[in-house]
Amino acid sequence: MTTAEAALDAVAPSRPPASQWRMALRRLLRKRIAASALCLILIFYGVGVLAPLIAPHSYDQIDLNHTFAGPSLRHPLGTDRLGRDVLSRVIWASRTTVVVTVATLVTGGLVLGVGLGLLAGYKGGGWDTITMRVGDVFLALPGLLMLIMISATLRPRWDGWMTHFYGWPIIGGTLKSGASDYFLVFGVLSLFSWVGMARVIRSQVFALRQTEYVQAAVAMGAGTGHVVWRHLLPNVSNLIVVVLSASLASVAGSEIALTWLGVGVRPPTPSFGQLLFDGAGLSNLRTHPNLLLVPAGVLVVLFLSFNLLGDAVNDVLNPRTG
Amino acid sequence: MQGLAPYVVRRLLWAIPVLFAVSVVTFALGRYGPGDPIQVRAPRADPQTIERIREHQGLNDPVPVQYMRWLGRFLRGDFGDSYRFPDRTVKSLILPRLKITIQLNVVALMVVFGLGIPLGVWAATRRGSWQDPLTIGTFLLFSAVPTVVAIPLLQWLFALKLGWFPATGWSGLLSKAAVLPIIALSVGGIAGVARFMRATTLEVLGQEFVRVARAKGLPESAVLRRHVSRNALLPMVTVIGLSLVGVLEGSFFVETLFGIPGIGAFVFQEVQGRDYDVLMAITLIIATAYIVANVVVDLSYAWIDPRIRLGESAAA
Amino acid sequence: MRDSANRLLMVLAAVVAVLVIAIVVVSVVLIAAGSSGGSSASPAKSNSGPPAAAGNAFRLGGSDPLTLDPAQSFDVDSARYIVEIFGGLVQLDKNLKVIPDIAERWDVSQPDAQGQVTYTFHLRKDVAFSRSHRRVTAADFKYSWERALNPKTNSPVADTYLGDIVGAHAYEDGQASDVSGIKVVDDSTLQVTIKQAEPYFLDKLTYTVADVVNKDQVEKNPRGWTLAPDGTGPFILAKYDVGQQLILEANSSYHLGKPAVPEVRFDLAGGGGLTQYQAGEVDITGVGINDIESIRDPNNPLHQQFQESTALGVFYLAFNTQVAPFDDPKVREAFALAVDRDKIASVVLKDIAKPADRILPPGMPLRSDAVKGLSYDPARAKQLLQESRYNGKLPRLQLYTSGAGANADVETQAIVQQLKDNLGVDIEIQQVEPATFLQDAKRGRYAMWVAGWSADYPDPEDFLDVLFYSKSKQNDFRYSNAQVDDLLVRARTEQDKAKREQLYAQAEQLIVNDAPVAPLTYDADNALVKPYVKGFFLPGMIIPWLRYISIQRG
Repeated sequence: MTTAEAALDAVAPSRPPASQWRMALRRLLRKRIAASALCLILIFYGVGVLAPLIAPHSYDQIDLNHTFAGPSLRHPLGTDRLGRDVLSRVIWASRTTVVVTVATLVTGGLVLGVGLGLLAGYKGGGWDTITMRVGDVFLALPGLLMLIMISATLRPRWDGWMTHFYGWPIIGGTLKSGASDYFLVFGVLSLFSWVGMARVIRSQVFALRQTEYVQAAVAMGAGTGHVVWRHLLPNVSNLIVVVLSASLASVAGSEIALTWLGVGVRPPTPSFGQLLFDGAGLSNLRTHPNLLLVPAGVLVVLFLSFNLLGDAVNDVLNPRTG
Repeated sequence: MQGLAPYVVRRLLWAIPVLFAVSVVTFALGRYGPGDPIQVRAPRADPQTIERIREHQGLNDPVPVQYMRWLGRFLRGDFGDSYRFPDRTVKSLILPRLKITIQLNVVALMVVFGLGIPLGVWAATRRGSWQDPLTIGTFLLFSAVPTVVAIPLLQWLFALKLGWFPATGWSGLLSKAAVLPIIALSVGGIAGVARFMRATTLEVLGQEFVRVARAKGLPESAVLRRHVSRNALLPMVTVIGLSLVGVLEGSFFVETLFGIPGIGAFVFQEVQGRDYDVLMAITLIIATAYIVANVVVDLSYAWIDPRIRLGESAAA
Repeated sequence: MRDSANRLLMVLAAVVAVLVIAIVVVSVVLIAAGSSGGSSASPAKSNSGPPAAAGNAFRLGGSDPLTLDPAQSFDVDSARYIVEIFGGLVQLDKNLKVIPDIAERWDVSQPDAQGQVTYTFHLRKDVAFSRSHRRVTAADFKYSWERALNPKTNSPVADTYLGDIVGAHAYEDGQASDVSGIKVVDDSTLQVTIKQAEPYFLDKLTYTVADVVNKDQVEKNPRGWTLAPDGTGPFILAKYDVGQQLILEANSSYHLGKPAVPEVRFDLAGGGGLTQYQAGEVDITGVGINDIESIRDPNNPLHQQFQESTALGVFYLAFNTQVAPFDDPKVREAFALAVDRDKIASVVLKDIAKPADRILPPGMPLRSDAVKGLSYDPARAKQLLQESRYNGKLPRLQLYTSGAGANADVETQAIVQQLKDNLGVDIEIQQVEPATFLQDAKRGRYAMWVAGWSADYPDPEDFLDVLFYSKSKQNDFRYSNAQVDDLLVRARTEQDKAKREQLYAQAEQLIVNDAPVAPLTYDADNALVKPYVKGFFLPGMIIPWLRYISIQRG
């Protein structure tokens, strides 16, 4: 995040109109590597969203008569220790990654990060000080340790609280099927992922506020909402896209790490963190390496695509390098 | 360079409220969260016994009272006692582990910068040739893969398939067992540093004075040595400072997966054992390291390039 | 520009210099610290090794002890070392029988008018602490036990094992300055009076909390004495590098005979198990679930070095008998009959645990064969569920398991699947962190959970009475059956072994039928043992076993 920040400090104010977005997209797609990365990511997200339709089996269908089976027509990637279909589990695990990344980027990146960045940058003064000082504290807290402590200590409270909603239509059913874990995980991740975005937006808004047209708009009596919506947001939108695409990988990685440690998404809801944990035991590795190699392979490709896309977006949208 | 002393004083004074906030947050998380260190240590002890021990160790006092007591001891330099290891002090538990973690990370950092910087410069000079996309692709690949994914792959390949190194274990830094952990800790960093270095080098190569130097007929290697490397290295200072802290988090997984008795592998068990005072100490050590690293980065930045005014650069 | 570039280079040089200095200093310090203890050898070196020590040392894996204070130890990882370093009046032998340790012999009185029983222990005169060589006397025991019971010691175990001694509670509550039931008659005679006859009292005294500690050492350095503990056990703690290795040295003046191995090395960092064993880095190792099948294969050369045996522990599905739907015994029985424990043990667990159809594990003394165990009977289970008052209106069911790490408990998932297939019930698994799991299970927050119990001392009382007596503090099932209570109370004081066995058999049968728990598996131990290790056995409990081992190479 800090390198992105440093690079972005120098971004001059500019106003990309709608056509400019289309141009940026076209430039992005013209890069063959970036286009294929985007393509892979879209496939991954598509698979995640459509998991219930695509997966050949359920992720928790246990078949004790076919444990540790090799690849077959019925189970193209074999089965695990309980005879569950590895392919289906990988597909369902993608869903967890999709839900957590999207939710975290929306809450942590857009709502908290952009919101607080705008607030601090536009209002300035006390607002700015408070936001940035709170950000300082968050940065000084060892993130991973805090994530573990929060999800370890708050989970029972959280679970108890969530059961109140079980009776509710729609929401109740979703919660029961493991969504409460999603909420906890992306909530905790959001809490620690807003600072970088807020800082970038803040410094950009700071610069924008000094420009003539914003000053003119304010002088003409435009309301705060109008200024933010019409003048500020459009000018920081390219930054937002750059920062979001750069942080995709770290958010997805954090969820996997948390789950791997047992404080993220809990079984039976599948996650890559769990697939890795199951597959990575030394004795498992010796006898059934496919249990590790399959999810690890998917993740290597996914993370490579995340990074390629992040770089390309930075190239296209960041005026300094672009 | 003006106002250096007041600046340092201001930064260090600011560290006090930050550390205070960090300690309050950590303390509150532990004590208000459910779970009891005595119950974890003695799962079968009867409730009265647990209650008596809690009472005796002051765990039944109001949390603010407990916090003040902890703070008082902490200010006198006493990190307190462990709940999970009843006959050990926090200091005696943390120091030997911290030593191992620091050793491992220092070596990893040396590898990261020792290999990353030259690799990055080299890649920049190869721009346009077939080697460029290849190296940049490799860098991306290595910096992309999360540690949790990379380590089992390393173990599978180098320990189980090839049998070159032991898969787990620790017998000091100067042994075969340390090789894989150091690779795991540094691979991502090498790739990241190399990418960053390549980008900054390319940028410098495009600037006026480099073109002038070339025009003067200076050989390419001399251009690189005299102008490019120096200017391209400047942003690296920030990266170095921040990696000092960043690797601590990486070592969390590396130590757990390789069975290395450092702080990282320890901390997770301590969260589960609700070993409050140990967790407080570790959190504060990391937070302090972070703050100090930032101040040092700022200072060295200002010293290297006097045009940068203190307090404005590297806000982090 | 030039100036700033130079400064930059200086900073970088400084960074590198600091890094180099740091690494040199740290490694020098560590190497110095390592060699002063006599071993900073890398694993490669220790294989060929210094001929004197490593050649005959017994090497095995291990984990860090949480404590080396006998009064504090409550966990297997600590007890494993403490039983070798410390000793008490009595100890358990290979067959889990109580044998003399520091007590040479003892007399047991008949119950007096209040039912109190007095043990008179006659102590050996040739026992000394291993470091200070000071003779151990009866007063040392009085000190050690009172120290353990003293609330200031914060022992979580003392009350369980020593609380039955007359006057112990008064002392714990601060109403007495000593424990009246512990009397020092002379240097080698100790009299202990307990509140009522307890056939398993001597078994309880084999627990580490009853071990003797050296008063001089403990009082001189109350916070750090366990770094070089002065015990009376067969071994002496020679070296302990946190997280790396723990080395025990034979106590040459051990009163029951000097151990055959001069040195035992525990590798605390390895964790590689089979890998380390095959590389010759450890002499024994346990075999995990993924390798067990290949090891059991008679064609595998390692098969010759393999042994397995049951251990005194049981794993079960527990029910809170006071809450719906498990307040109806028929529901509990239906659940107990609907689990195919044979399949779980053989397929899911690959027989690293054995199917359990009753409470007491095989190998437990006084385990009667007359008890009829649970069978797997899905048809009957279905019928019972229909007969129950919750037929068709079962509440939402959650099964709680304790788990750390993403280690999805496969056994639990298989059980839930079987219950679904056989009874048509949907059960959600809730994995809870150990720290809160224990508390919540005790507080009755769960209706159904998986848990286990393993022996603290080899007596049925430790399972049946401790878990199922209605007023027992460990009865998390809230199980209460007056008939069971009556049998258990009678068995406590019954002196006749055959009668005691019969009482426990009756009680166990009633408990199995009432199904406050559905037993799943018995614990089992296994090991691969190098052929040059002689005298190895799987005791099934933590006992001082290292002194029976010898190394005889080629």
